[in-house]
Amino acid sequence: MANLPDSPSPLAPAAPPVSPAIQSPDRPVQTSLLRFELNGEAKTVAAPAHWTLLEILRYELRLTGTKQGCDKGDCGACTVQLDGKPVNSCLVLALDVQGRTVKTVEGLAVGGQPHPLQKSFDKRGAAQCGFCTPGMLMSAEALLRQKRARGDEGIETLEIAEALSGNLCRCTGYTKILSAVVDAWRDKP
Amino acid sequence: MSAPTTLSSPPFDVVGGDHAKLDAPDRLTGVAAFTDDITLPRMLHAKILRSPHAHARILSIDTTRAAALPGVVDVVVGSEMPLTYGVIPWTPDEQALATDKVRYVGDAVAAVAAIDEETANRALAFIDVHYEVLPALCDPREAMANTDVLIHEDNRHGNISKRVKLAFGEVDSALAAGDSEPGAHRIAGHYEFHGTTHAAIEPHCALAHFDTTGLLTVWSATQVPHYLHRELARVLELPTYRIRVIQPAVGGAFGGKSEPFDLEFVAARLAIKTGRPVKCLYTREEVFLAHRGRHPFSMDYETSVDADGRILAVSGETVLDGGAYSSFGLVTTYYSGQLLCSPYSFGAYRFHSTRVYTNKPACGPKRGHGSVQPRFAIEVQLDKAAHLLDMDPIALRRRNLLGANSTTINGFHIGSNGFAACLDAVEASSDWQTRRAKLPRGRGLGVAGSTYISGTNYCIYPTDLPQAAVQICLDRSGRVRLFTGASDIGQGSNTTLAVIAAEHLGVELADVRVIAADTDLCPVDLGAYSSRQTLMAGNAAIMAAQELGKKVRKAVADHWQCSPKVVTLAGRRAQRLDDPAVFIPIQDAFVLAETAFGTLGSVGHYNTPRSGVHGDYRGGTIGASPAYSFSAHVADVEVDVETGDVTVHHIWAAHDCGRALSPVLVEGQIEGSVYMGVAEALMEHHHVMPTGLGLEGEKEPGPWVSGLLAGSSLLDYPIPTTLDTPEISALIIEDPDPRGPFGAKEAGEGPLHPAIPAVVNAIYDAVGIRIDCLPVTPEKVLAALDALAAQKGSDDA
Amino acid sequence: MLRIRPIAHERPSSVTAATDALQKLGEHGRVLGGGTDLLPNLKLGTDKGRALVSLAALPGLVGIAEDAERAGTVRIGAMTTLDVIANDPIVQRLLPSLAETVRRIASPQIRNQATIAGNLCLDTRCRYINQSDLFREALGGCLKSHGDACHVVVGSQNCVAALSCDTAPVLIALGARVHVVGGDDGGRTLAVADLYCTDGLAHTTLTQGELITAVEIPALPPTHWVTYRKWSRRKAIDFPLVSVALRLDTCRERDHLKGGMLVIGALGPKPRIVDLKKFKGRDIDAALAAEIGRVAEIRAKTLPNLPYDPAYRRRRAGVEAKRAVLAFMANR
Repeated sequence: MANLPDSPSPLAPAAPPVSPAIQSPDRPVQTSLLRFELNGEAKTVAAPAHWTLLEILRYELRLTGTKQGCDKGDCGACTVQLDGKPVNSCLVLALDVQGRTVKTVEGLAVGGQPHPLQKSFDKRGAAQCGFCTPGMLMSAEALLRQKRARGDEGIETLEIAEALSGNLCRCTGYTKILSAVVDAWRDKP
Repeated sequence: MSAPTTLSSPPFDVVGGDHAKLDAPDRLTGVAAFTDDITLPRMLHAKILRSPHAHARILSIDTTRAAALPGVVDVVVGSEMPLTYGVIPWTPDEQALATDKVRYVGDAVAAVAAIDEETANRALAFIDVHYEVLPALCDPREAMANTDVLIHEDNRHGNISKRVKLAFGEVDSALAAGDSEPGAHRIAGHYEFHGTTHAAIEPHCALAHFDTTGLLTVWSATQVPHYLHRELARVLELPTYRIRVIQPAVGGAFGGKSEPFDLEFVAARLAIKTGRPVKCLYTREEVFLAHRGRHPFSMDYETSVDADGRILAVSGETVLDGGAYSSFGLVTTYYSGQLLCSPYSFGAYRFHSTRVYTNKPACGPKRGHGSVQPRFAIEVQLDKAAHLLDMDPIALRRRNLLGANSTTINGFHIGSNGFAACLDAVEASSDWQTRRAKLPRGRGLGVAGSTYISGTNYCIYPTDLPQAAVQICLDRSGRVRLFTGASDIGQGSNTTLAVIAAEHLGVELADVRVIAADTDLCPVDLGAYSSRQTLMAGNAAIMAAQELGKKVRKAVADHWQCSPKVVTLAGRRAQRLDDPAVFIPIQDAFVLAETAFGTLGSVGHYNTPRSGVHGDYRGGTIGASPAYSFSAHVADVEVDVETGDVTVHHIWAAHDCGRALSPVLVEGQIEGSVYMGVAEALMEHHHVMPTGLGLEGEKEPGPWVSGLLAGSSLLDYPIPTTLDTPEISALIIEDPDPRGPFGAKEAGEGPLHPAIPAVVNAIYDAVGIRIDCLPVTPEKVLAALDALAAQKGSDDA
Repeated sequence: MLRIRPIAHERPSSVTAATDALQKLGEHGRVLGGGTDLLPNLKLGTDKGRALVSLAALPGLVGIAEDAERAGTVRIGAMTTLDVIANDPIVQRLLPSLAETVRRIASPQIRNQATIAGNLCLDTRCRYINQSDLFREALGGCLKSHGDACHVVVGSQNCVAALSCDTAPVLIALGARVHVVGGDDGGRTLAVADLYCTDGLAHTTLTQGELITAVEIPALPPTHWVTYRKWSRRKAIDFPLVSVALRLDTCRERDHLKGGMLVIGALGPKPRIVDLKKFKGRDIDAALAAEIGRVAEIRAKTLPNLPYDPAYRRRRAGVEAKRAVLAFMANR
């Protein structure tokens, strides 16, 4: 078991610590080797125990396609797929990804070609500023994959809206995003 | 007017085509670099310490303990950057970091640069600030009356930030006619528009680097690189030529990134001090505190209409809750009255607007700056008039059309005017006549109209310099490079400019590379605010492209030994108009031109027309624009009379953008505007309680803490999800304006305005209640329904 | 961005190791299930936990099964995610009310990560607590956040933060129990109704080192019917601002009432259970629906703890309860 960190309340700072453990934090940083599959490749990184998957992706692995918008699971901009399912990477502790599979927007292209969703989002003008888009794509891809696995024939706007209801977009009013997902569904690979 | 304008007729080659955004593929693959995606070697991270008091005097700041922390590289306080600044040069009342006083919970007082963000975060707790807490003024009317507590002690007008009083025509007699004339009506209403914020999904971020040559480079998520450039120079006391501002990809702005913020100064100052790159990224809470969102307006309107529904007079008295600083407030105060005089003809008009300082996050420009609030009031006033007159509300609006090539009562010249076509379009698309007749109780339709500016006629600072500029280079590669200071914040200005260049130079859209918003590489443009980019940068692009096009046609004509007049550039070809079988690839044409004229480049600029566009009175220029857009919306709304829930099923939104250079982008602007408007009408509230932390609808908030923002997260500030957004039908109306590039006018802000009053008017149509105080929350709906029932009960008795 | 402060993390591979670790860590330890509630609280600093015991590697905590001996009884492993529960054929067949409840929690991303036990153990929420450091500092703190005053009930020494989880009301209405291991007893089962107490600072009755391993929901007789309704500002992402679960125990013809309960959520630290026995024998009709609605409104003593007008939330509870009865009538 790691040493129990000790610290005063952040709101009532006491005197500065005398001998920081690593760099400068007030509590010792526990770092572990994290092995997982990222966009089809095996990765091993040293992950601080208090880091989220989002921090590992953006600030350690420099995969900045995954965005940070709200800090705490309210906006969906950081959506990635964990074992094939969309999750907010800001709410996943990095060490809990041990041995699991992660897919980010950088891994969406198929065989060097844009994913049908990337094509339909482009054509429809579904990305304006594009900041929510990577997360939106990861949610949409999971929906389409799940539907194909189920053998669904048609697609309903409501089911798309439900699948994307955790991804906030401030530019588009969602109209073109919903249309783009329908287009991608119809343009089956 | 110095820039030539083109009002060419279709068919066009590129203009109006079904094309996507140039930069979309990068944004769809995670390649586009937003500011926080950029990392430099040895980069430090800065965090800013913020005031926990709404109003306090700073007695001392001691950074010793923080500076001594391992990992902390440097600390900065306000006395190092004491000069005041403001985006409006007449009202410089902000400091990068406060030196003497803090004026809202969240005001910046000091900052730390450390080896990582976590260390910087933690170090803030080790900065010791002693405050003398002062009484906080959070209610604008209270602040206006208070002469003892002054938020800006050097302000000559107490806590009044700006007052504007303008009158046009015989207002009192025209208003009185509403009482005296047979069949006429005089309608008085009190309206409250609440504060809302932009909530772009990308938080503000700045990165600064001071290199060994003495050049300061600042990358920032800004929509006004030029104004940031100016203010950095002022506050850091550096000449502008030693500063380079680069705007990377921006993740939405909506007005929320249209002036400098503390983080840019802090990152720059710390980069200069440490000699290392410094990044500062806001938390979501800091975005809410930086704010500059829609001002809360408290409005009293009087409107008189004659028996036929003609508007005899409008009079408005408005108090604007400005928050702690001026921001764009001077302009907001003018806009609150000046932008109301179209699309309807007023017999007489006056407004009296007062912006007041309060101890809250500063308000500023949000999509539809200053005019969304009065638009709500006037469109509800007109709806009330229509019901009193027993007139169809669309018919009443038609009766008051201002028309094209007209002058508003406040002296603004209107060029093209597609408002009547907008009304026709929403009436037809919504099936207004038959649908309205058939709706059950609880379901209603509402209509509203509006107008907006395609950029303001004058720069924020007094100058005759160009307001927009574009440089274009061609070469033997067949490629067009377009350099512009214009700011693409997701709205697509880069694509729009490429469309214009491609149309003129005969290339395809993909052949145009746009290099934008880098003050070292690009000519000056004032930035993305007031819906100015398409018209202003577009006209500059036309000027530049025409010059180059002329050279290419001349070189090709010489080659073919014909007149340049019969050479056309289109579809990646130079072609003879009189003999279409004769053509060469555009690349060959560029080679001919480069051979004939040497290296090919041109510049174009745009300045607004200075005569015949506005009235000749003090303030008459503010709000005047080269061209005006028009919008009309119909909303289909359902009210649940037991819960008070309002569901907006559908909005039909028609918008006259002059010419849709990129229809997909214009539709996107209309849809996004409608979404944002509906959200403001029903849910969003940037809610700072005057006394205590009150709740939505709560009558007696707790008495003990003032100036706290009730919700500073995207959980507590609810922006609609896919499931909360109505169906939106975007209807493009094209009434080309001679002043717009290919006739184009704005599309980014105008279509927000009518959504709010259309929804509120539809609620009346559904259940007979007027909600004049926004947002329309379920408890307000129930209270109004209860009052209506009580009224009916007493009427029956 | 908001960061979690350095924290210890361990990943035991057996339930015993997990409960031992929790026991040892005492007040500093936190159970990390899905983390969707814990991580925001750690980031905001409202949760002062300093060591995480991740359940990710524990065997046997995931899955849904119908009891082989007691037909209709369903057992859901503690670490089963909400998304899995919502889409599970057994849950959809035997517990449609639970499936529907879970399907409407938060967002798809959160449902893919959040667990059933985590939802039951959701920390209490209050508009004075679920805020930034700056906000709480400006406020001067409160009982749950480095202070000694309650701002909701001024003068109170009892924290009244609200239990905002969606599953507790419906699971109480369904008569569900939780299996718990660890602690002094080594293991026990208790009714979900007994899982909560009125202290917003420590709102579950779990003791140090105790861990929920499963939720067990007994078979619902065909004459019984359960539904859950909630109100939040948006149709996704939000926590409920008020919620109502309703159980109607009817006669075989399903036209009059033999008993039942209302469970009202998002009030204080504990769901409010209202026995409907006083309506025993009544016809299930619009009049009864209206009366049950009135009872719900009276008993939904909303406090100004959640970020919305308490008077409206209370009125809304009544409407939702009434509509729950009407929904039964429409479906019977």
